[in-house]
Amino acid sequence: MRRARDWWANPWGQPRFLAVVTWGYMVWSIVPVGIAVLFSFNDGRSRSVWQGFSMRWYWGDPNLSVLHDPSMRGALEQSLKLAALDMVIAVPLGVGLALGLTRWVGYGARPVNFLMLFPLVTPEIVMAVSLLLIFVTLYKIPLGTTAQVLGQVTFSISYVVVVVRSRLLSIGKQYEEAARDLGASALGALRLVLMPLLTPAIFASLMVVFALSIDDFVVTDYLSSNESTQTVPIKIYSGVRGTTTPALNALATVMVLATLVAVGLAFFVYRRVNSLQRAESGTGTALHEIAALEM
Amino acid sequence: MTRRWFWPSFALPGAAWLVLLFLVPTYAVLAVAFGTVDPIFNNPVPVWDPLHWQFSTMRGVLDDLRPGHVFWIVFVRTFVYVGISLAGCLAIGYPVAYYLARHARRTKALLLILLIIPFWVSYLMRMLAWIGLLLPDGLVNKTLMDVGVLSHPYGWLDGQSSSVILALIYGYVPYLILPLYASLDRIASQVLEAGRDLGASPISTFLHVTLPLSRHGILAASVLIALPMFGDYYTNDVISGSPRTSMIGNQINLFFQGGPQRTVGASLVIVLSVMLAVLMSYYLWVTVRASRSETIL
Amino acid sequence: MTETATGAVELVELRKTFGDVAAVDGIDVEIRPGEFFSLLGPSGCGKTTTLRLIAGFERPDGGRILLDGVDMVATPPHRRKVNTVFQSYALFPHLDVFDNVAFGLRRQRVKKTEIRSRVETVLRAVRLDGYEQRRPAQLSGGQQQRVALARALVLNPSVLLLDEPLGALDAKLRKALQIELKSIQEQFGITFVYVTHDQEEALTMSDRIAVMSGGHVEQIAAPTEMYEEPRTVFVADFLGISNLMTVTVDGAEGGVCRARLGDFILRAAQGETAEVRGETRVVIRPERVRIEPYESTGDNRVPGMIERVVYLGSSEQLVVRLATGDVVHALFVNDGTLRDFAQGTAVQIHFPAEALRVLPSTRTPATAPEPEPSPALAVDPVPSPSGH
Repeated sequence: MRRARDWWANPWGQPRFLAVVTWGYMVWSIVPVGIAVLFSFNDGRSRSVWQGFSMRWYWGDPNLSVLHDPSMRGALEQSLKLAALDMVIAVPLGVGLALGLTRWVGYGARPVNFLMLFPLVTPEIVMAVSLLLIFVTLYKIPLGTTAQVLGQVTFSISYVVVVVRSRLLSIGKQYEEAARDLGASALGALRLVLMPLLTPAIFASLMVVFALSIDDFVVTDYLSSNESTQTVPIKIYSGVRGTTTPALNALATVMVLATLVAVGLAFFVYRRVNSLQRAESGTGTALHEIAALEM
Repeated sequence: MTRRWFWPSFALPGAAWLVLLFLVPTYAVLAVAFGTVDPIFNNPVPVWDPLHWQFSTMRGVLDDLRPGHVFWIVFVRTFVYVGISLAGCLAIGYPVAYYLARHARRTKALLLILLIIPFWVSYLMRMLAWIGLLLPDGLVNKTLMDVGVLSHPYGWLDGQSSSVILALIYGYVPYLILPLYASLDRIASQVLEAGRDLGASPISTFLHVTLPLSRHGILAASVLIALPMFGDYYTNDVISGSPRTSMIGNQINLFFQGGPQRTVGASLVIVLSVMLAVLMSYYLWVTVRASRSETIL
Repeated sequence: MTETATGAVELVELRKTFGDVAAVDGIDVEIRPGEFFSLLGPSGCGKTTTLRLIAGFERPDGGRILLDGVDMVATPPHRRKVNTVFQSYALFPHLDVFDNVAFGLRRQRVKKTEIRSRVETVLRAVRLDGYEQRRPAQLSGGQQQRVALARALVLNPSVLLLDEPLGALDAKLRKALQIELKSIQEQFGITFVYVTHDQEEALTMSDRIAVMSGGHVEQIAAPTEMYEEPRTVFVADFLGISNLMTVTVDGAEGGVCRARLGDFILRAAQGETAEVRGETRVVIRPERVRIEPYESTGDNRVPGMIERVVYLGSSEQLVVRLATGDVVHALFVNDGTLRDFAQGTAVQIHFPAEALRVLPSTRTPATAPEPEPSPALAVDPVPSPSGH
């Protein structure tokens, strides 16, 4: 008993209580999701009673599986379509905004920076409502895929700016200045030096936008029109309280997998390019590298 | 020398987008809230000129906000839910963030990954997970009946406040832990060791050194999750589905199902935004004050 | 003020490993009550780890730590009668100077009036009276350091541990604070255990020094003895310029050994002359090296040429290359005597036997640079995660 108490009250400050709480939290946080994933492989129609292992909800069942049920598959397709469009539009806009904000010396910088920060602290319902109203009243844009993309891009830009800006600040101006010193124009320095260095951050922001878009609910829902513009989160929201099958779990699992793969990819690419670049960092090598490029 | 417009021109497209699709829509909310309703089609008609704004709808909304009236109840309930959920998130999240920041040496990388995973699992998927557990024939009821606490299945999903609060805590706590961890990580080890060195027991060091130094981090993380929580409606919708537990977000959502009600909805959005703006201002004021007396690390 | 003879620290076969690296590898040290004891060595030698072990922030993997004869192994840091002045000062940013200094007293539940008087006394001792309401961020480096010192001193510890407290300050401020620290130590009579990598600092302030390298103690001695009678190559080279030369010892008689340096015979009267044989090193301090005209004759003289003359203001340093190829530094005080020291002059270098010390040929320490003597720090290849 004393041994247990000593283990508990370790004077060298390895608090066992905190460790227990932390691991307990991890379990509590992840296990429910794990169980939901598990039930996506359920043989029966129940989402709560285990009836055996099967892939019927993924592709087995000819009517209700994710692959075969048109509304399920449609939701998956719509989610991916929106994500792709969101990535393609939001990232260039965001990168430009990040570049502009970091390097801008002048009066306009502060308000634009403020403007960029606002979407990050605005609750989604406020943003969704405002977009719905402006599309319906002033801009006369019909609800549906176009509206959904416009909405998603609007909140994604700020996240891109945050990711890219931190990388920009750590790169600093030294490489571009070296390039200018060696004869490159401002645009040339940007194209030949800064953009390659920014690649990991751009890739990371692509993945962040992907994950944000795939998981988004409020804005996408408010700007949707009919069942054809439903995404996976919308499908889950509308189906979860009813008597739906584990196909819903399967749909959600596919989405989670896609997100985790995207984020993991971003992480690894970012790390790898980072370590490559750090091995060659230093103004001396920067000049050397730039001199080796064809101007 | 670069021309002055070189860099700003890169920011132009993004800035223009945000103006057109963020700022202007915000104005649209005001225009609709203070606008009129078309009597024939029952559509809200926005009024763009502030000089012609109609305040009757807003007055009606504010009227119903008085204690005892419809919106008052919802607002109070939302505050209670957010308050309890925040307390729950802090009670769970602070120890985890603390352990991660100050202790887990060898397991730190693994724990960080485990911590980040829920971040990237869709919120609704996590709700789906809990609903699966809370169904009448779900694991929660089964375990509680096996253990003997329950004699028959409990309706966790039948409009229970406790279920909503539990779901809010479950849903938002990861968003609290990460910034809290970042802030605790910034406290220099030597400052905490100094506390121990000067005679403070581990608990005393925590109370007199760690907690005061993490005060700002706690505030920042709390504001970070309180803001979206106030506008949350989907958690209530999927976990409870009953107007008994309706939050501000649900009310707004209700009024946007169609027709003239959108004016009311827009007014409610304004009320919510003003409330949150007050919260944000308080946070900013505290931050500015703390950085001036240089107690922020 | 304090009882008799408190503040004795004894480390017995103390060991601490991080992973598979032994930061402290079985050291035995005895620190007397009331003495100013320095742990001196390069980065990674284990001196800071030793300090943290005494403070209680690290748990030893072997050996014992005795404070006034009592084993501290089970006592957590907040219950040891030992206080630390941290390298980064570690002042509490959320408290002002008064609350920082009063922190420890409040944990002991001392009465408010007593707290006030004790805090004011100690702040006066470090000349910071009047600064009570200031915040750490508003103080200069030197002032922060003094608050850190006051905060520890006010608790009347038996032993005060100081981890390179002057490292972040500029040279002039450092010198001033060195004198202050020493006088405070003498005034309060507390045992100081002082960690530093600056050998000049250790020599100026300490009653005794322990030179450490690679987790081991090389030598423990008073400053004079440490400088003039180094017992290993590492110690000789770490403190000041050592003029190390590789020789072969083939015999000894009457306390003087015969050492062959190239084609020349030198007699060394210092060191373990009776025991050392074979290839080893000799050391002589630059101020003992005599430069004589080329025609000069006698024992222990080697011809050579002046390579460089470095004027240091109060002294002059000569870099001389011997006929054997070794490079030797000589130091002269500018006492007004005219000396003919031009670059390129041929001279005789005289190593007086009583100043020439032979070192043991056993352990070759991590660095021991070839006769290119430099007062720089030896680089220790043993990494230590905690810094020192």
